[in-house]
Amino acid sequence: MGPTPTITIHVPGPLRTYCGGAAQLSISAQTVRDALEDLQRSQAALYRNVCDETGKVRRHLNVFVNSDNVRDLNGVDTLLTAGDVVTILPAVSGG
Amino acid sequence: MDAAERERYSRQIRFSGIGEPGQEILLRARVVIVGCGALGSFHGAALARAGVGSITLIDRDYVEPSNLQRQWLFEESDAADGLPKAVAAERCLARINSSVRAHGVVADLTSSNVEELLGQSHLILDGTDNFETRYLINDFAVCRGIPWIYGAAVGSYGLAMPVLPGHTACLRCVYPDPPEGAQPTCETAGVLNVITSLVASYQVADALKILCGRQDLVQPRITTVDIWQGGTRQIDAPPRDPDCPACGRRQFPYLEESLRAPVRLCGRNAVQVQERVLVLDLAELKTRLEPIGEVRANEFALRFIVAPYEMTVFPDGRAIIKGTSDTGVARSLYARYFG
Repeated sequence: MGPTPTITIHVPGPLRTYCGGAAQLSISAQTVRDALEDLQRSQAALYRNVCDETGKVRRHLNVFVNSDNVRDLNGVDTLLTAGDVVTILPAVSGG
Repeated sequence: MDAAERERYSRQIRFSGIGEPGQEILLRARVVIVGCGALGSFHGAALARAGVGSITLIDRDYVEPSNLQRQWLFEESDAADGLPKAVAAERCLARINSSVRAHGVVADLTSSNVEELLGQSHLILDGTDNFETRYLINDFAVCRGIPWIYGAAVGSYGLAMPVLPGHTACLRCVYPDPPEGAQPTCETAGVLNVITSLVASYQVADALKILCGRQDLVQPRITTVDIWQGGTRQIDAPPRDPDCPACGRRQFPYLEESLRAPVRLCGRNAVQVQERVLVLDLAELKTRLEPIGEVRANEFALRFIVAPYEMTVFPDGRAIIKGTSDTGVARSLYARYFG
């Protein structure tokens, strides 16, 4: 297995308050699951807003790798390659 | 189309995507805008100026000074008069384009009135500020095959997604359930007027394509925009989910709820209550409540203040209770003062 790829997590506006205002986070992860586990350690507040107590991605959120929903790939086991952009997309209510 | 209409809409007609055939369709189109806040008031103005023949605006709230920063249809006098948004919006659209049939409906969209209010529409625009109503719109639109366009914004961020029932993913394919717990709202996180206008523009652009028969140009995408930090991103919406409760299994629980439970208005320390449909005589109620607290009433709404609570009640019996986020307290206040 090669070096762990470095990927970018894109954090939309409504979730930035949980990660010190960062719009992007750069982390190393082989899979989406690894990326979420990294968040659990490094950005606990953000993680709690993305995953529930059982570790599942909350149902009002979608996680995309580049422009593909992980639901249509391999879920949290989707493999990541260097340069991938993981986007967390919450439903938003304001109007 | 007569000569005056041809002149009025000339710049739109010259745009090859619409042309005279497209304008003819728009003049006969019926659109319902659910929610007349920042998104909805932009939709209303844009559609009236574009010559959409019939525009219904549904809103349960009244104009407040804090709305004026981003809700283009309202003015200081509307807030001072405590006008319902639907009434103020109807009046404003009539001034923008007197040939459009603008119809304001002061109501909360519920399973009991959704057929009456949305059933005749060619298209529904989402201008709501809450998930309960969006899931109701989705159930109804998918059930009846009416296109609708989701849009939402908070802070400097917003997103839009068209739903073409039977063709693209519906709201429940993408977000199976509404969020639980508090979400950032325009009250808690603030909102810029440029992001709501931008999201509303994406929605209206798709609406015009659909109404003009160019559904093929509508991209099944989720468009996200951060107008302050970051930019525009377009992500392909997932394909329709065969197991989607709404468009896959055709189960529509949001259409089946009989009367709505009290709804906490997120971030506002307020609860909306409608125990049942009533027909209230506001003048009579004003007389009854005056000995107890401060009362202001017009023909559309009555505001009643007993510190620390402020209650606004509408003629259909719906009330917004400010000063509590506890639905039990709100129900109790409702029962105590309005029966």
